Amino acid sequence: MTPTDLEARLAALEARAPGGAQPPALPTTGSGRRSRLFAPIAMAPVLVLAVAATAVAGGAVVGGIVAQGLPGAQNPGQPLEGANLECMNPPQAAAYLTDHGFTNVVWQVETGIAGDKGSGSSTQRATPPDHGYVVPGAFLGDGQLIMIVDQRDGATGTGACYGDPMP
Amino acid sequence: MTARSETKAASFAEAAARDVDFEAAVRPHYAPLVRRLVVVMGNEHDAQDVAQDAYLRAFRSWDRFDGRDVRAWLYTIALRLAFNQLRRRRRWLGFISRAEPAPWSDRSDPDLWIALQRLDPRSRAALLANVLDGYTQREIATMLGVPEGTVSSLLSRARATLRIELGEGL
Repeated sequence: MTPTDLEARLAALEARAPGGAQPPALPTTGSGRRSRLFAPIAMAPVLVLAVAATAVAGGAVVGGIVAQGLPGAQNPGQPLEGANLECMNPPQAAAYLTDHGFTNVVWQVETGIAGDKGSGSSTQRATPPDHGYVVPGAFLGDGQLIMIVDQRDGATGTGACYGDPMP
Repeated sequence: MTARSETKAASFAEAAARDVDFEAAVRPHYAPLVRRLVVVMGNEHDAQDVAQDAYLRAFRSWDRFDGRDVRAWLYTIALRLAFNQLRRRRRWLGFISRAEPAPWSDRSDPDLWIALQRLDPRSRAALLANVLDGYTQREIATMLGVPEGTVSSLLSRARATLRIELGEGL
C-alpha cells in the first residue's frame, strides 16, 4: 500500500462518514458579540433589560453606553415574520414592502469581498439596488426599516435561501 | 434619517454584514468538520455535539480570527473541544463502570477502519490533518495544542500501526 493509496482510502472513508447535518442557527444579528459591553454600575438595570430584550430577538445596537434591543423585522411576532425577504431580489423586496405599507425604508448596500475583513464598504440609500442578497433587516426606534443588501464577491445569502445564486 | 437612527442603522448593518460574512466563510466547512470528528471521535452523536459547539464558539470569536486559514481555525476549536469531551467522558464512564458507546463503523473498507481504531483519537486527528489536509507538523501542533515533537511521534506511531495492519509502503 502506497502513501497515495492511503490518502485515497482515508479520503473515501471520511467521505462515507455521516456529516449531512446543517450547522446550528446563529444567535440573532449582533447579539453574539456584545458580551464585553461595558457600562457603569448605575446603568445595570438598563443593561439587564436590554440583554433580556436581545435574548428574545434581534440585534443589539450600542448607542453611547446604552444597549437597545432591535428585533429583527422577520423574527417571530414582528411585522415581517415569514416574509422571506432574503429569497427576493432587492426590487422585489422593495415592492413587497411597499405593498404591505412599509414606506420608510433605508437600503444599506454592502460591497467588497466576503471573508476579507477590511475590504468592504457600505452605503445607505433611499432606493433599492438592482441586485444582491437581501438580508432581513430591523425596525429602528422611529419606525424606520433598515434593509441590507449584500453585493460582496463570494457572498452566499442567508436564511431560507442560503447558497442560492446572487439575485 | 436622524443622526441617532443613522448610528443605529450603521451598527445593525455592520453586525448583520459580519454574520453573513461568518456564514459565507465557515459554513462550507461544517459538514466536512462533522465527518472529520466522526472519524476522530468514533461516534456520530459526539461529533455532531462538538461540531455545533465549535461552530457557535467560532461565531462568538469571529472578530478575533486572523483571516488566514478558516478551516484550520475551525478545526483547531473543534478538535480541542473533542479531546476535552473524550477525556471527560472516559473519566465519567470509568467512574460509573460503563463501556464506551458503540463507535461509528465503516463497512466499505473494514481493514482501514480497524487499523484506525487501533490509533488513539489524537493520532487519528494528526494523521488525517497531515495526509488529507496537507498540514505540516508545526501546523498540526498548533491545531492540537501539543509540541511539534509530539506530533512527530504521533504521526510516526500512526504510520507504523497502519503499516502493520495494512501492509508495507507507507
